[in-house]
Amino acid sequence: MSNLLEVRNLAKKFTSSGGAFRKARTMHAVNDVSFDLPEGRVIGVVGESGCGKSTLARLILRLIEPSAGTLHFNGEDLRAKTPAQMRDLRAHMQMVFQDPYSAIDPRYTIERAVLEPFLVQGVKPIDGAAAQVEALLNMVGLNPGLADRFPHQLSGGQKQRVGIARALALRPSLLVLDEPTASLDVSVQAQIIGLLEQLRDELGLTYLFISHDLSLVRYFCDEILVMYLGRVVEVLPDTNGQACHPYTITLMNSTFVPDPKHRRVIRPLEGEVPSPFDLKPGCAFADRCPQVSEICRAETPELSKHSGHLVACHNPI
Amino acid sequence: MINIIGKKIGAISWLRRSPLAKAFNSWLGKIAGGFLVLLLLTAIFAPWITPFDYAAQNLMNGNAPPAWPHLLGTDQFGRDVFSRVIYGARTSLSVSVTAISISIVAGMTLGAAAGYFGGIFERVVMTIVDLTWSFPDILIALIFVAIIGPGLTSTIFAIAIAYLAQFTRLTRAQIVRLKQETFIEASINLGGKPRHILLRHLIPNAITPVIVIGMLAVGDGIVLEATLGFFGLGAQPPTPSWGAMMSSGTAQLFLSPWVIIFPGMAVAATVIAVNLFGDELIRALDIRDRLKEA
Repeated sequence: MSNLLEVRNLAKKFTSSGGAFRKARTMHAVNDVSFDLPEGRVIGVVGESGCGKSTLARLILRLIEPSAGTLHFNGEDLRAKTPAQMRDLRAHMQMVFQDPYSAIDPRYTIERAVLEPFLVQGVKPIDGAAAQVEALLNMVGLNPGLADRFPHQLSGGQKQRVGIARALALRPSLLVLDEPTASLDVSVQAQIIGLLEQLRDELGLTYLFISHDLSLVRYFCDEILVMYLGRVVEVLPDTNGQACHPYTITLMNSTFVPDPKHRRVIRPLEGEVPSPFDLKPGCAFADRCPQVSEICRAETPELSKHSGHLVACHNPI
Repeated sequence: MINIIGKKIGAISWLRRSPLAKAFNSWLGKIAGGFLVLLLLTAIFAPWITPFDYAAQNLMNGNAPPAWPHLLGTDQFGRDVFSRVIYGARTSLSVSVTAISISIVAGMTLGAAAGYFGGIFERVVMTIVDLTWSFPDILIALIFVAIIGPGLTSTIFAIAIAYLAQFTRLTRAQIVRLKQETFIEASINLGGKPRHILLRHLIPNAITPVIVIGMLAVGDGIVLEATLGFFGLGAQPPTPSWGAMMSSGTAQLFLSPWVIIFPGMAVAATVIAVNLFGDELIRALDIRDRLKEA
């Protein structure tokens, strides 16, 4: 199985420009992220809000320009592509956005929105536009009769299905899902997840699934990257594997179990996520970590093998 | 044939559903809008409505008070004031609408480019545009007339320049806000070129408030045209213009007040109607917040 996507040392720094009365500040949104995404697999990225998950998704699709690192898609160096080459490549790598309410132009009908990928890529839809719209809407479980509606006439779940239809219109091989269910009702979430599973099997898609919902990621993904403040702190190679990083363990312990008899003490993390501006040396999690020791505040831990998988921690459990 | 009828019905139903129709929902909108439609028809069909030639002089019947057949009296040269007011509507409306259209097109282009590309380009454009805004409209108009001489063409350009800043700023503000929307990112992610993003997403979503402000500016444009005409810098005789007519009426203000009163009323009524209708349009489209952005 070849790697569809190879990410090496990807980083993004945002620098606020300084002026006469303030210092220029640097924010490390994503720091030294590396991973391989083999064809047909589903990798989940979890972390709290603000940990750089969405930025990572946008870096991979080059919607934001990375500050450092390399990106290979199907063996091609994405960062070496010109804007025109990149536009052509986008047909093969698509994204489903978190907020379906603003992901469709309010002035576009559903038909026009679904046909936009063909228009911008200069591809003639097979068997004509109307048949293509019908086929795509059927594929994502929408009534083709909705084609002449406007986005505001659709529910959140329906809009997200339109978002998926748009993303899949040009048959991409990679689909980046940026919290596709975060702004939907729970019952609708389940439908969308079911649809995504079905589409992966039917179309042989490769997913990068971004979420803050660990239980959802464990259910849906083959492999999990846990992010904390822009860095990958643990890579769980399978969803049942034992976590070693104190942060992952806290994250796992804070998911609820649907069993009223299940009793356990939830120990919420103390303190706040440190500011991503002007990072101090050492582990970013040190201030909140129950396992903290001297070295944690002095040296930033690298990802290294521990009990069979990669962990970035000086004192793994 | 059926197709043509279908298209015609489509056009009518589009007109009914269009935002313009919504402004007719309130009684204020009906009165103001009705007046404007009437004015427009009058201006278009002026040659069939006017009982006299607007330029025909009759010195024997100068300064005649309103009476049959001169409904609004005659001016010092015995020209029919009614006919001249109606032809004046033609001049005022066409000058103002042309000027504002030029202003909207130029302003939207500059504003959209500034908002989309940003950087140094945006700074330069916005500085120049803000500079034109810091001068009173009439002063810009006077500078323009001084450069290319009096006449309708310079009036048109003067009005267009005077209102350019407004449209540029409004468009830029909208584009800057819209650029952050997810659907723009989604379109870029589909491989949309800047041209596609600008013409198919950003400008269509920004155009409504600009058109409404443009509508209101037509009222101001009429006043500016009348002002320039009043000073003899706009329409040149014998072209009838409301401003020029009022100007010529000042000489006989007390002898024959109708010469100045009726064109004055025409300006006032038109501007009031435009403003009321514009307000109704803003209310109907619910875009008050978006207008504050500029």
